[in-house]
Amino acid sequence: MSAPATKAPVLVANEVSMVFGGLTALSNVSLQLGEGQILGLIGPNGAGKTTFFNCLTGLYTPTTGSVQLRGRVLPHDPASVTVAGVARTFQNIRLFPSMTSLENVLVGRHARMSQGPLASLFHGPAYRRGEADARTRALELLEFVGLAKVHDELARNLPYGDQRRLEIARALATDPSVLLLDEPTAGMNPQETEATRQLIFAIRETGVAVVVIEHDTKFIFSLCDHVSVLVQGQLLVEGAPEVVRDDPRVIEAYLGKPPDEVEAEVRQYTEEAGPDTQVKDTGGNQ
Amino acid sequence: MNIPPGWSWLGQFLLYVAAGLLVIWLLVTGYRALARFLGGRPGLVRPLAIAGGVLAVVGALLPWVTFPLNDGPYPDLATLQFFDAPFAVTGFRLFTLITGVAAIALSFVPRIPVRRVLRALGLGLAGVALVNTIFPLIDGGGFGAITAADGAFAFGGIVTLVASLVLFFVSKAGDLEPLPRWNTKVPRLVAYAALLVSFLVLLFAVARLLNSGSDSGGGSTTYSGPIFLSLLVFFAGLFGALHAIGFAGWLSAVSDDHKLFSVLVLLLAALALPFTEAGTDYWMTIAANIGVYAATAIGLNIVVGLAGLLDLGYVAFLGIGAFVAANLSGAAAAEFHIHLPFVVAALVSATVAGVFGAIVGSPTLRVRGDYLAIVTLAFGEIFKKAAQNNIGGLTGGANAIPGVPPISWFGASFDESFTIGGVQLPSGVLYYVLIIVLVSVVMLVFANLKNSRIGRAWIAIREDEDAARAMGIKTGQAKILAFLIGATLAGLAGSVFAHKTSTVAYDSFQFPESVTLLAAVILGGMGTIPGAVIGASLLLILPEKLRDFSDYRLLLFGLALVLIMRFRPQGIVPDRHRRAELAGEAEGGVPIEELNVPDSPQGATR
Repeated sequence: MSAPATKAPVLVANEVSMVFGGLTALSNVSLQLGEGQILGLIGPNGAGKTTFFNCLTGLYTPTTGSVQLRGRVLPHDPASVTVAGVARTFQNIRLFPSMTSLENVLVGRHARMSQGPLASLFHGPAYRRGEADARTRALELLEFVGLAKVHDELARNLPYGDQRRLEIARALATDPSVLLLDEPTAGMNPQETEATRQLIFAIRETGVAVVVIEHDTKFIFSLCDHVSVLVQGQLLVEGAPEVVRDDPRVIEAYLGKPPDEVEAEVRQYTEEAGPDTQVKDTGGNQ
Repeated sequence: MNIPPGWSWLGQFLLYVAAGLLVIWLLVTGYRALARFLGGRPGLVRPLAIAGGVLAVVGALLPWVTFPLNDGPYPDLATLQFFDAPFAVTGFRLFTLITGVAAIALSFVPRIPVRRVLRALGLGLAGVALVNTIFPLIDGGGFGAITAADGAFAFGGIVTLVASLVLFFVSKAGDLEPLPRWNTKVPRLVAYAALLVSFLVLLFAVARLLNSGSDSGGGSTTYSGPIFLSLLVFFAGLFGALHAIGFAGWLSAVSDDHKLFSVLVLLLAALALPFTEAGTDYWMTIAANIGVYAATAIGLNIVVGLAGLLDLGYVAFLGIGAFVAANLSGAAAAEFHIHLPFVVAALVSATVAGVFGAIVGSPTLRVRGDYLAIVTLAFGEIFKKAAQNNIGGLTGGANAIPGVPPISWFGASFDESFTIGGVQLPSGVLYYVLIIVLVSVVMLVFANLKNSRIGRAWIAIREDEDAARAMGIKTGQAKILAFLIGATLAGLAGSVFAHKTSTVAYDSFQFPESVTLLAAVILGGMGTIPGAVIGASLLLILPEKLRDFSDYRLLLFGLALVLIMRFRPQGIVPDRHRRAELAGEAEGGVPIEELNVPDSPQGATR
């Protein structure tokens, strides 16, 4: 396994565990994200990827462990985490549907604007300057993700792929150091997926480190510098894409065991369970 | 078969239900069959329009339903008098005649969306016919009233109803035309002239509407209900026609482009109302009440319309403002025997109400949706009970706080009439002006906040609270701020209310008032200013005009709300976003997500 990050880490998760009642969703998951790195987080359904994201962004308070951004422990409050510089998108798109694209991105600027209630009430010159700056920045971001021409369109009327990109633009509007993308290509066709890949590279160019959750392993291995695999709440493997890709444990977790092994198991199971069920059936009929 | 006594009502009830369902089924099936038949026959537009128009003209000239009352037969000139004075066509007969002639004429005008126009006119005419048929039926003792005095059958109403249906079905012949879009890039002068004329026409239409069927003082008479409603639906039909030819959309776009001028003209038009025929003591009082409710509704609109927090006890803040102002007014019954100048008292009232708003808003940090609604409902009841029990001697309990003196500035008492340039203005006109100013201020606050960082944060919270938090919005602070500002505005309105009514009693601030405010917001259109004002106006004017129906008032009100929610869930004046959303959509059905229910019942969350 290669070293997690060669560059200075931006985001560090230390042994994060999350227990819901009796269910351990995450146990001692650690992660280091380097400056300008793209880190992929993969794992089968229910592995705890989104739970981990929620712990990173303060939506959940981890049962144990902590998350640090540039050496400072992040608070357990989504708004403060965003202010500190960690932005995210959601697995099921969560835009503000009856706001326009531009307004969605402007909401993202919220934490980077300072106008209080009184300024908002009186609309003085300083207020208007701030508002104009935010607008310019928001339009730049829409341009960046390729949505400039639909800036006046309601978010809910955008096509699916555009909604995903708008969510990224909205997250970028918070001026993050780290961007967390939760399944950014879910439901996309190959062309859109490729466009998203290019977009994530472009985001990295602007100096933002990215963590991506994705089921599409091909996408992850062609995108990321570093891949972590979560299985049943535990970090199974991590390392460079090629290392992770060839790791038999990953293949097993993802694809199951090789067909012949599975067949053998199934045969064994049916042989063991078969007579039992037959007995039960006849019992039921009598 | 023996039906046990006491159960026969059940049989009857079921029979009525079955008959009702059958009628509805027949109507729906007939409607669909007719619509399908007409669908492929666009050539029928003109014949249908002419037929409908002719029928309407005939209906206008025929005798209508009638009945004798102590105040003389209703409706005026609608009965056998027709045979005496065949050309005296006034009132609703005039509307019917105009609609009929217009329908015939319009079917020959090229390049207008005839189907849309006639649909609007047809619906308006249906309203006229129904109002003037049903009202005498209900008030005149059932279907016996259909027979006119001399035994002549009064089928004018029925003919007109048929005419209106024919006109409506013109819209089903072939495809509905797209809504025309006029060029909105017009010279400044043209725009100004159009806006000025339109607002003037609006002013006179409103004045006429208010005074329709009134006695000389503006008060209601036995017939004001149907006369008012006839005019209202006729105007609604005309407005629908103006909308159909694209004029209303054009005007709205032009007024958006010249916002400042529009606001000024609208303000002037509002201030000019006392000079019109509606400038009576009576209407000044009603208008002042409307203003108080409108200001409060706009405040509520911040909480419900923008931030999406359902508040069912909102009228308590109006009450708090009113009681604080009453206590600081030097009234003999007040707890504090001090008399602060009105402006100071108003600011104190607003502040106190705002503080209470923040207190009530604090549970929003922990509860959402339905649960929050229950908390606010409880607060409203606590306020009412506290005021009823004269808590701290501040509310006067059942005795209320009477004798709140009128506002008096520079020696001019606000409840007296006075003369400007030889025109005698009604008493209460100064209150009217003050309330116009108040409503303008509240509108300005609302508009500025809505288009700001704070306003966007509120809307974001309404749309998706978790996503809003993920955008760095401190949702707790933002929600409390919404409650605080909304309550402040209500408190401000309450201080004016205290002086205007002169008696502040707890029973002006009960649950039905909260519901009325909420209805005003929803009816008019959530998140918009004109919506709240129009909603408040309708909810206060209709009861005045429909005194005769006071027994059915809540029933009719509920029915109207249900109909509006079904056919226009975005409200009368929808938010820009909702309008944009609907612009691309086919007429009629609106997807259910358009119903802006404040929050899904997610229950208490962290």
